[in-house]
Amino acid sequence: MWFSVCSLAICLISCFYHFIRLVRYGKPKDYSHKRGNIGAATIYSFTGAMSPKKKESAYLHLPTYTAGLLYHLGTFLSILLFILFLFKIEPYGYLRTVTFGFLLITGISGLGILIKRISKKELRSLSNPDDYISNFLVTVFQLMTALTLYNVSLFPIYFIVVSILLLYLPLGKLRHTVYFFAARYHLGFFYGWRGVWPNK
Amino acid sequence: MENLTKEKIKNGLETFNDRMDGKLLTHLNACVHCGLCAESCVYYQADPQIKYIPATKVDLVSSIYRRYNTFTGKFAPALVGARNLNKKTVEEMVDLLFGACTMCGRCVSHCSIGVDISYIVRKGREMLANMGYVPETLQSTVNSAIETGNNMAIPTEEFVETLNWLEEDLQFEVNDDNARIPMNEKGKDILYTLNPREPKFFPLSISAMAKVFYAAKESWTLSTKMYDVTNYAYYSGNLGEAAKIAQRLYDEIENLDAKTCVLAECGHGSRAFRWEGPNYIKKVYPFEVLTSVELLAKYLREGRIKVNPEIIQDTVTLHDPCNLVRSGGIWKEQRYILEKSVKNFVEMIPSKLDNLCCGGGGGQLAMSEYNDRRIKIGKLKADQIRNTGAGIVATPCHNCVDQLIQLNVTFKLGVQIKTLAEIVADALILE
Repeated sequence: MWFSVCSLAICLISCFYHFIRLVRYGKPKDYSHKRGNIGAATIYSFTGAMSPKKKESAYLHLPTYTAGLLYHLGTFLSILLFILFLFKIEPYGYLRTVTFGFLLITGISGLGILIKRISKKELRSLSNPDDYISNFLVTVFQLMTALTLYNVSLFPIYFIVVSILLLYLPLGKLRHTVYFFAARYHLGFFYGWRGVWPNK
Repeated sequence: MENLTKEKIKNGLETFNDRMDGKLLTHLNACVHCGLCAESCVYYQADPQIKYIPATKVDLVSSIYRRYNTFTGKFAPALVGARNLNKKTVEEMVDLLFGACTMCGRCVSHCSIGVDISYIVRKGREMLANMGYVPETLQSTVNSAIETGNNMAIPTEEFVETLNWLEEDLQFEVNDDNARIPMNEKGKDILYTLNPREPKFFPLSISAMAKVFYAAKESWTLSTKMYDVTNYAYYSGNLGEAAKIAQRLYDEIENLDAKTCVLAECGHGSRAFRWEGPNYIKKVYPFEVLTSVELLAKYLREGRIKVNPEIIQDTVTLHDPCNLVRSGGIWKEQRYILEKSVKNFVEMIPSKLDNLCCGGGGGQLAMSEYNDRRIKIGKLKADQIRNTGAGIVATPCHNCVDQLIQLNVTFKLGVQIKTLAEIVADALILE
């Protein structure tokens, strides 16, 4: 468990480093006359613009979109459970059953996304080893979290899996944990400055 | 391709070193290779090849960034797909970033993450420009603008002559010997710019705007020294040349002491001067900049001009220029103008922020080596137009006009292509 705590610390420090680097670089100064509302556009960027109705990437690919959404919810839930596990808190009874079931579904969603990446020619061409490893690690993380809920003897393996994931996270595409939020912000800023968003 | 020297590689990588900022860093690191952007790209829609997926284009640039700027890319490049900046990569970059992207930005708002894909493509073009790999056809357009003051290299005497006969024509049309096309007059409210295609091939669009200015009793002038609204260096990625072109228009507005610069109907020109220009020259403009679309809508709203929608009986549809709409936020104004000026207006599907690029953007019209691709992707637009059943296609962009004229012939659409000023001028009621 302590190895996992150290891995978590390394992961957080690395993510914080990426965040600080972003802040230090700052956004480019825009000398043009602002036409729109940046605040409203940034909020829209994180809300309305993310709606499946607004995105072809969602409404043309509803099964993948749904799987992706579940997969990410599963990741957040697994992280929360990892922190609870560190404090020796575990869900019991009905809550444990629901959590287990949900994580099973999200883990299968992750597996589905991985299978899609392996089987589709277009995705294979876009992918590098990091894409497969990241997808695999997060999927295993979720499934291990689910299994550990019912089998405490799996905790040692669980913590090894979590540690590998946490140490790997800052090295590859899982860094989008940080950059996703920055991307939505910059997009909101850009479209807001020019009065493109909010799209009403 | 010439030898890729160490010096050239160093120049190319400058984009990731000297010019790095939080926005670029973000978009270089955010793509997760989900590939869901594929259908948002007109190139992929028209010809579903893997190389046309927007994520592939992003990865061309970001993989180089990873190779030289990240820990994993330096020590385990294969793990994260980091690529060397070598001859093969450069050839692919030229083919895809110049030849297979109009930087229309349609993929951006549909990206599951929010990666500004067209921004990354622009950065890739900047890299290529730094290394001297801008396609010669595009570079020659930039050179014409730098050397002669306009991208079509129109001599000043020829331009002045054109304006003189257009003025006579205007006087005849409005039956007023005092109607004018003013040149180089100082202290006017508006300095109006033109796309050089207008004096060269479409002088009637200048007449149309002059007629509108006459009806609105506007205080305006044209410059014969610097009237070119375009900035093809925005497309080539050469920031120094882009700044030179923007600075020249800036200086002329200052020189003529105009209060407002009105940008002709030109999507990329509007973007390049209004939004990118201040950043090229690192100055906040002390004057107002408006697109002619905004101005026409303003005239109609304020009642400074009156139109009769019964004059244009044919059904009119609208093509939204990407740079004006997705990158400029102007999509309500043109609809307001058409709803006032024509009897039957129909939308294309999709339209507004989701509109499909006609294929003429991104400098494609200047790069003849990619003509076949340009026409191929244009079929999507041709089908859109045909589906509306319209007899007139209005578009506030001369690049789009050119592409639509070619599509009209190639796909036998049998429509008229008009600018908004032409539509308004046709519907104008002169009091």
